[in-house]
Amino acid sequence: MSDLNIDIKTKILKFNLLFVLIVFSLSLFAQEVVNPVSNNNNVEIGVIEHLDEFLPDSISLINEEGQQVWLADIIDKPSVINFVYYRCPGICSPLMEAVAGVMDKSDLVPGVDYQVLTISFDPHETIDLGIRKKSNYLNLMTNKVEEAKKGWLFFTSDSASIARATNATGFKYQRTGNDYLHAASLTVVSSEGKITRYLNGLYFLPFEWKMAIVEASKGKSGPTLNKVLRFCYSYDPVGQTYVMNITKITGTIILFLAILFLLILVFKSKKKENLI
Amino acid sequence: MQNVHAANEANYLTYQGKYKGLLGWILSTDHKRIGLLYLYSIMTMFSIGVLLGLAMKFELLAPGKTIMEAKTYNATFTVHGVIMIFMVVIPGLPAVFGNFLMPIMIGAKDVAFPKLNLLSWWLYVLGVVLVLTAILFGNGTPDTGWTFYAPYSFKTGANLLPAVFGAFILGFSSILTGLNFLVTIHRLRCPGLTWSKLPLFVWTLYGTAWIQLLATPVVGITLVLIALERVFGVGVFDPALGGDPILYQHLFWIYSHPAVYIMILPAMGAISEIIPTFSQKQIFGYVALIASTMAIAFVGYLVWGHHMFTAGMSGTAQYFFSLLTYIVAIPSAIKVFNWIATLYKGSINVQTPLYWAASFIFVFLIGGLSGLVLGSLATDVHVHDTAFVVAHFHYIVFGGTGFAFFAAIHYWFPKIYGRMYDKTWANTGWLIFFIGFLALYTPMFYLGIMGMPRRYYDYMAEFHSGNILSTFGSWVLATGFIIILINLIRSARKGPKAEMNPWHGKTLEWTVSSPPSLENFDEIPVIAEDDGPYNYK
Repeated sequence: MSDLNIDIKTKILKFNLLFVLIVFSLSLFAQEVVNPVSNNNNVEIGVIEHLDEFLPDSISLINEEGQQVWLADIIDKPSVINFVYYRCPGICSPLMEAVAGVMDKSDLVPGVDYQVLTISFDPHETIDLGIRKKSNYLNLMTNKVEEAKKGWLFFTSDSASIARATNATGFKYQRTGNDYLHAASLTVVSSEGKITRYLNGLYFLPFEWKMAIVEASKGKSGPTLNKVLRFCYSYDPVGQTYVMNITKITGTIILFLAILFLLILVFKSKKKENLI
Repeated sequence: MQNVHAANEANYLTYQGKYKGLLGWILSTDHKRIGLLYLYSIMTMFSIGVLLGLAMKFELLAPGKTIMEAKTYNATFTVHGVIMIFMVVIPGLPAVFGNFLMPIMIGAKDVAFPKLNLLSWWLYVLGVVLVLTAILFGNGTPDTGWTFYAPYSFKTGANLLPAVFGAFILGFSSILTGLNFLVTIHRLRCPGLTWSKLPLFVWTLYGTAWIQLLATPVVGITLVLIALERVFGVGVFDPALGGDPILYQHLFWIYSHPAVYIMILPAMGAISEIIPTFSQKQIFGYVALIASTMAIAFVGYLVWGHHMFTAGMSGTAQYFFSLLTYIVAIPSAIKVFNWIATLYKGSINVQTPLYWAASFIFVFLIGGLSGLVLGSLATDVHVHDTAFVVAHFHYIVFGGTGFAFFAAIHYWFPKIYGRMYDKTWANTGWLIFFIGFLALYTPMFYLGIMGMPRRYYDYMAEFHSGNILSTFGSWVLATGFIIILINLIRSARKGPKAEMNPWHGKTLEWTVSSPPSLENFDEIPVIAEDDGPYNYK
């Protein structure tokens, strides 16, 4: 009798497994959600988001040693690209202070988990000024100074490469006299050079910072906690912030509790007195 | 199975506990009394729903205003839907027959948590009262349709919140019943009653209980979000507040489509009990019936998107939902095949329950096949939001669950009340009801295909003749219902005493006295190794 019992159970299991297989194989056809923010190409100053696009290979930069390098070679991990000009009397300083602040507070390690690439979009500037600026901003940090020395890199570039880089990221600026009108914006790219997120404004929460970098590292192995974060939060393009995926989370909790309940029912032995 | 006689002198109907009279019923934790409390509550609500349905059909007797204004019509179909779905068909068979019979069928004295069981009924009553409050008091009866779709739900000036809150409470009742049944079926089966010997009605209750437990919280959360939006202006579904109305539809149908299976699975379970009994034959494909039950419960969870093909959804998602909808038809078809195969070469004993069961298969087939028309992407666009959809789901929900409910009550009536009903009147009632049903809903398939939209109190002249037939059908159906109701009520009080096993059934409930004693069994039965629920050899 018990053999028959097992046989029946096996048949039921096989039957239901077949359905599960069909359902999961169908999920392979699921398509990516397209970002609903429309791009307005008439913007003269600001940022036109080029999400999911790749940076071109032909962007050359001058690094802190004065050597010519290729941006594509430098991006070997999730990177935050930050366009400023070093003489900037305006929003560049508060922007860089915000970057220094959030790098210091975040539990992600610059140079290991990610890097920040600050690029001057003024082709007349030299790297000496960039190095001095770097030293100033590192002085603002307390926790991750050593890591930031390796993970926060400053560059200058020529006008052609600057044009290619700013066009690719949608960073729109205008020259007015000796200075520039421009937005405060950071572009987050994956280690393959794909633009994954824009962080705008002059204040970044460590959480937003972490989420943007975790997103950029998608597909790469990272701490499990980061994967959980990516599951629980998604970017709201209208509110420009990360919001909790309430439906995903409650759904997971319900399923988890149900599975737990089933396991208890199946594996916890019956009490004798319950067998009335 | 073993004959286990219980002491007849203290049956559950006459037993006097701590409380007397009405209190002895509404405070009873006995699963059988709770089952009957549900039966009376549900039949009361069903009667109200039928009256509202009749009023709607009367309005549609002729184009233009017949007896009510457009707004009243909107409110009527909303309340009809809310009552019939949340208060009748969702609790329906599990709450009434599940409560009454499942513990007996597994050889237990009661459910695992009798007090929780009583609480479930009280929550049901509370939910009903809240919804009725919304209807009778406040700014006006809810007029959004039973789905409470956004943006209606946040635009309407009607008294929606109590109705929504009532539906939320009803959901809790459903969850607690599901939980109770799961623990009972896992823990309280009598010795020897293995999973492979469990009656199919119990198996369907088991699948249903999982859906109740997993899907109902989703609608609870959704209804809370509606309340948050209406009271605190939190943008969840209203685009003006940054919300998404489509999100509401997703959340609503993630629950409400599995809810269709909460309705239909126990109905299929009841039919799976009736057919072998009246064929006096082992059920055909016991394992396939169980597997199809669990497959329906699982896949039914993943098909909700087919309600939203025209609401805005990616092409890939549409293909996905359409294909899954077709897949869920397979286990349903397996069941139909097995029922027919059970009848084949059986010693068929034609009685009222079998008439109901046979007509169930007939209407369920039509309902199921018309569901495939709606599950197909191209045809759905054509018939979406037309009378075709109304015809389809009445064929499934009313024709399926409703017919199975009447089949079940005519099958287990002698066990429940210890009395037999008048079979001639029962058969007459069935026939009139069945003819009325066909006349009421079949023209709506045609009207829908021809383009008559649902949820309008008016229609074009070309739809007149179909509507006349449909309204006429509603009167015939109501006549049949009245005959059935009077016959059952009268028989419960004055019918001849029933035998312990009038249909020669083989499941455990037929081994106890009619009506059963308070604790069902004098001694807990033990199922022998070579015995089983449909052992007619």
